[in-house]
Amino acid sequence: MTTSPILSPHAARETPVISDAAYLASLKKVTQYYIVTAFLALFIGVLIGPLQALNYGGINVYDMPIIKGLLKSYYQGLSLHGVLNALVFTQFFISGFLLYLPARDLGMRINMKFAWFTYILMTVGLLTAAVPLLMNDATLLYTFYPPMEGSPVFYIGAAVMVGSSLLVVGQVVQMWMRWKRANPGRVTPLVAFMSVATWMMWAVASLGLVIEVVFLLIPWSLGWVAGVDPLISKTLFWWTGHAIVYFWVLPAYIAWYAFLPNHAGGRIVSEPLVRLTFVMFLLNSTPVGLHHQYADPNISATWKTMHMFLTFLIAIPSLLTAFSVAASLEDAARARGGRGLFGWMLKLPWGKPTFSAPVLAMVSFILGGAGGIVNASSTFAPVIHNTAWIPGHFHITVGTATTLTFMGISLWLIPHLTGKRMPSVRLASAAVWTWFIGMMVFALGMHWEGLVGVPRRALISATAQSVYRDMPIQIPQMLTAISGVILLVSAVMYFYVLFRMLLSKRVDDGEVSSPIPYSEVISPAGQNLAGASALVRFTEPLLALWGVALLLVLLMYGPVIARLFANAELVPGWRLY
Amino acid sequence: MNQRLDHHTLEKYENIWFGIATVMALFLFVTVLASFFSGTYPSLTGEGGHHITGVKNGRLNPKNFAATPFATPGLRQNADGTYEAFVVAKAFQFEPAVLKVPVGKPITIHVTSADVLHGYFIEGTNINTTAIPGQVSSFTTTFRRPGTLNVICNEYCGTGHHNMINGVKVEVQEP
Repeated sequence: MTTSPILSPHAARETPVISDAAYLASLKKVTQYYIVTAFLALFIGVLIGPLQALNYGGINVYDMPIIKGLLKSYYQGLSLHGVLNALVFTQFFISGFLLYLPARDLGMRINMKFAWFTYILMTVGLLTAAVPLLMNDATLLYTFYPPMEGSPVFYIGAAVMVGSSLLVVGQVVQMWMRWKRANPGRVTPLVAFMSVATWMMWAVASLGLVIEVVFLLIPWSLGWVAGVDPLISKTLFWWTGHAIVYFWVLPAYIAWYAFLPNHAGGRIVSEPLVRLTFVMFLLNSTPVGLHHQYADPNISATWKTMHMFLTFLIAIPSLLTAFSVAASLEDAARARGGRGLFGWMLKLPWGKPTFSAPVLAMVSFILGGAGGIVNASSTFAPVIHNTAWIPGHFHITVGTATTLTFMGISLWLIPHLTGKRMPSVRLASAAVWTWFIGMMVFALGMHWEGLVGVPRRALISATAQSVYRDMPIQIPQMLTAISGVILLVSAVMYFYVLFRMLLSKRVDDGEVSSPIPYSEVISPAGQNLAGASALVRFTEPLLALWGVALLLVLLMYGPVIARLFANAELVPGWRLY
Repeated sequence: MNQRLDHHTLEKYENIWFGIATVMALFLFVTVLASFFSGTYPSLTGEGGHHITGVKNGRLNPKNFAATPFATPGLRQNADGTYEAFVVAKAFQFEPAVLKVPVGKPITIHVTSADVLHGYFIEGTNINTTAIPGQVSSFTTTFRRPGTLNVICNEYCGTGHHNMINGVKVEVQEP
């Protein structure tokens, strides 16, 4: 049938007009503060990265006088690298990005005083936690497993920082509910829908960490209770700890779904499918954390297996995304005259960094996701658990899928927010490509070392025994060391572009010169619920689905945690760093 | 002439892909279950399902191993001929420093920690468990080839973490 009007695509959404210029300026400013704080954290965190890569290349640079003056040990450097990149960068970026997008998409007014208060509180939390980190009083690595004990100031600062993200959740959800009341029977616009679903997921997922830090670690580190149960703490940590990776990657998904087709010159494939994907993430991101604890005793194999099954199911929305976004790209390439089964790929705008960053991030995520299925499988996990394979894995998931996408977003978002211009497209493009290549080489080296048996998070370049010198790891060690250098060069190029852009003068109106890059849609959801497809009507009541998500988590974690509490064994704290 | 994708074609492919994705996830799960039942890896005894003197529900006081076999770490042969090994991880070594085990015999290994978290990973094998203070990890395994293997701590335990490496010596028993 060729009579369908395929030549008339559904136009891209335009954001509702905000006539109050002072309000819009303030909204943009708070977003910019979040984004710039995020990248400052990434800047420091990323500079420490090559030191770790060189360690896994067999070169110990922590004994060099300059570095010794700044960092007490490899483990302090690693703690800073992990906390700044994985916790601070992501949380600040997402808080800004996913506050701004739904506010613009819905055209709603938000309370700017509250938005600024949240930003300031989050920053105060960050600075508070930073002091003990920099003083070597919280060298606990990213996971801060007790009974290794840190300064209470670190736990309090971290709690304030993470807790303030819940204020963003509250503000966004409340804004969405006001929109729903003002627009009965309407379908939530796609970008707002995805943002609200992501925040709702985070609200369920962050509970574990909040309970761990507020009720267990802070009282223990202040000396109010004599001991801590390490297994209860670890279980609560991974309640949040796995879901947090979806919190990092879902904002990237939003950009892949909603904006990448526009950068490529294509269209979003199917809005109802995108909504289904996000609802699957809302329901299924959190009750999977026990797959991080296959190696831990005293949790039943039955519960571990149930979490494993749920982990495998969470691969489905990712596979749907791979299909959907690849179809968007093919659509774009064919519109540009691409031909053949694979030949169309040549027609994509590979030299455009706002395009190449998210696409290369996606390519990386396909490989990272495949490795993730190995991690999630309890039969494979013992071979790679806590080996160098794991950092290899998460550098191509969060380190590339998320970070590279966020870098790409910054290249249009900063001009949009500030009216400033990217100083050099060519340099930005080189930064994007070298980041991707560097991470691929790093991941190859680290996965390989891990398979041979090199552990993660260890100063293996200074090990007294000869064990790592005897292992057949010369090639992967060389790859890892080289990747550190490539990534350093990439970071220097990217941050040069970013800082030059930020420090340059405003040249035009960002609303006009760099609008939010909404894409056209092949199969839209429609505007009214009454006429919408079953999938759209099923996914629209997010509040009810949020309740289901919470229930599912309580079902999957309640019995496990209740049993752990019934058998709690409190042990004293130690400070061995 | 017009090669652009349309709604109907995409919907068809989407459904096929959704089916493939779901089948793949289920297949993964089935294969893992199959390896459970065929016993191809040393899974941990769940929820303290072992019977060690002085250890209750898999828990013990890490400051007081006196009433438990962890007071004297190492391999022992029980009256019924089975082997059990007790290992204590503490910063920054394992006790015993070299665990001697017979080749080809099933051995139940119990691991605990005297201070912080440690990892108990035997190089070149899938023996990999967490040593948690206050808790005991138990699993049964058989070493099939004689030789010496490194036991590597793979969970951050402080400044000496990277030097926490000891051994397992797999020996052929004299008849």
